[in-house]
Amino acid sequence: MSEQTWTEKYRPKSFVEVKGQEEAISKIKSFVEEFNLSALTRIKKKALLLHGPPGTGKTTLAYVMSKEVSKEIFELNASDLRNKAKLKEILKPAIEQQSLIKKGKIILVDEVDGISAVDRGGLTELLMLIEATPYPVIITANDIWQKKLSLLRKKSELVQLKEIDYKTIKNTLIEILRKEKLFVENEVLTKISIRSKGDLRAAINDLQTISKIQAESFMEFDERNKEVDIFNALRKIFKTKPENALLRIFDSVNMSIDEIILWIEENIPTEYSGEELARAYDLLSKTDIFKRRIYKQQYWRFLVYENIFLSYGIASSKKEIKPGFTNYKKPTRILKIWLNNQKTAKKKSISEKYGKYVHVNQKRIMNEFPIIKYILKNTKVQKELKLNEDEEAYLNKII
Amino acid sequence: MANSSGIWTEKYRPSTFPDLVGQHNIIERVQSLTNSLNIPHLLFAGPPGTGKSTLALIIVKELFKQNWKENYLELNASDERGINVVREKVKSFARTKSIGNVDFKVIFLDEADALTPEAQQALRRTMENYSNTCRFILSCNYSSKIIDPIQSRCAIFRFKLLEKKDVEKVFEKIAQGEGLGINPEAMEMLYEGSEGDCRKAINILQATASISPSITPDLISTVISSAKPKDIKVVLDYALSGDFQKSREKLLDIMLKESISGQDVIKAIQKEIWNLPIEPDIKVKLTEKTGETEFRIVEGSDPFIQLQSLIASFVLAGLGK
Repeated sequence: MSEQTWTEKYRPKSFVEVKGQEEAISKIKSFVEEFNLSALTRIKKKALLLHGPPGTGKTTLAYVMSKEVSKEIFELNASDLRNKAKLKEILKPAIEQQSLIKKGKIILVDEVDGISAVDRGGLTELLMLIEATPYPVIITANDIWQKKLSLLRKKSELVQLKEIDYKTIKNTLIEILRKEKLFVENEVLTKISIRSKGDLRAAINDLQTISKIQAESFMEFDERNKEVDIFNALRKIFKTKPENALLRIFDSVNMSIDEIILWIEENIPTEYSGEELARAYDLLSKTDIFKRRIYKQQYWRFLVYENIFLSYGIASSKKEIKPGFTNYKKPTRILKIWLNNQKTAKKKSISEKYGKYVHVNQKRIMNEFPIIKYILKNTKVQKELKLNEDEEAYLNKII
Repeated sequence: MANSSGIWTEKYRPSTFPDLVGQHNIIERVQSLTNSLNIPHLLFAGPPGTGKSTLALIIVKELFKQNWKENYLELNASDERGINVVREKVKSFARTKSIGNVDFKVIFLDEADALTPEAQQALRRTMENYSNTCRFILSCNYSSKIIDPIQSRCAIFRFKLLEKKDVEKVFEKIAQGEGLGINPEAMEMLYEGSEGDCRKAINILQATASISPSITPDLISTVISSAKPKDIKVVLDYALSGDFQKSREKLLDIMLKESISGQDVIKAIQKEIWNLPIEPDIKVKLTEKTGETEFRIVEGSDPFIQLQSLIASFVLAGLGK
């Protein structure tokens, strides 16, 4: 008998088991709850569109939801949508005026952005289904900003699933290993988690593979590959004339655009100076503004501009090509910030205690620390604030 | 005064209405509300260090006398993020009856303008649901950041920056209590440094006194300048000399070590431009760029990227462009 895949074996069965998506869960819950309430008034949207990168739990959440409210899932794929008989079967109870108490259904349309051009009639059918159905419809998609989905976006409640953070992924992996009674080195787990880029399914698949083969060599190889990609991309941007091909340069780079921003930021001054430098940073600054706009308005098309500024834009900032080989550097800022946070942890905890005591928030205290530290060096004050030994030692050191 | 705290902002925090300085209009009205043993929801708006938290504390002490601690909950909106936390705490606090002869409890929500509009909507409902058992006192720096439905449910009081004569009264009281000598020149300087923020004024005074009991203008200026972002000039000097790398390294260093925000750095740069050895037209150009950068910091997501872009402009200025 072949071994069950871990992604299936450990697929969450209840909301508490779903990791890292608290916000989405509460939205989904209230959608289904309100769906029944609003059956009489019909003001609410009738479909829920779960979107987000692969492996963040879209399908899982739909199934967990159905379990939690004990409704059965009725899964449809693109071709089903054009199958009149099947659609009728779903819509039938609507005509029969089904009571609300009876066990209902949730209709799941998985991977809707996968509907191909040939299937496109399916989308129209889906929109009609949403209009007519007495049941909540849950739709999943990776990228909802394609033009063909614009009507669907308007008709649905959008819920975005975030990439799962690295810590949550790692903890999930550890939990699985514990249950499987297997051991994989901590360092390897860290690498898998980081490399998965928020895709929990990919991480679990990697873990299952690695638990069987020689882990080290596999990981090393892949990691190195990735860095060559970003180095090549930087070389093309900084060392060649701007050409349209540059617009696709990041396609081969297996990194998020936010990470690419950091690489560019780090390396601009090693290649550019004077006006080139100013021009390049101006574009980087505009990229950063678009980044914020995306977060704020959830309007992902702005990514196009980020991409253009970072590739063609930065390349076009130079007047002439600087000859010779440049050794590009890894971004160091994030590491420095992290190191600093470790260092200022004491300052933060002291500020918190002091702030609570004098009714001021901790951030403001951090800001005024240069003045307040004179007051804090008084041992009587330290006792009064119930500072611990570590915190006292920190104060004695800085004053 | 019974308070023996080693922290002067606490030791000299007024604990009765007559102890308060400044804000006369507000105090009068709030005192008569308090005397009637019934207060509406209150919204205190105004700059930091003008007495908002202090007045809230006095109200509850006057209302509940010796039982004030049982009947009072203080929530700092910016520390305890998330409306759910707030809601849970409010719920469990409001569930039990008040102790004493006032039949409601008081919740003080500091820096309510730090709550998102959604959180404020939720708060509004909470305020309604528990209005029989709980009164809210909200404080904020800008009332414009509080949604209208909350404003309309509160009596609003606008606090002003403290005037010089009011802050001087506080200084005199402390000088007397601590046996300090503060001459008029030092007094002037303390007030300047405080920018009308009484808490800051007292902190500067205590910090100075901790170095030496005779408060000289020199000492005060040492303390005040230690709170200003240092070495911003060094950052700009590197940039003007054409060394972008050193300049940005130094900048990151300062921001991390002194935990100052991008906006504070901008403020310091904007002031420093006028001391730089550059042509007048370039000063104006750089100020323009600084203003644009400040705008972009507000609009963007990563202040450090915006500041690097500004430094790059200083590098250009160093080349005379």
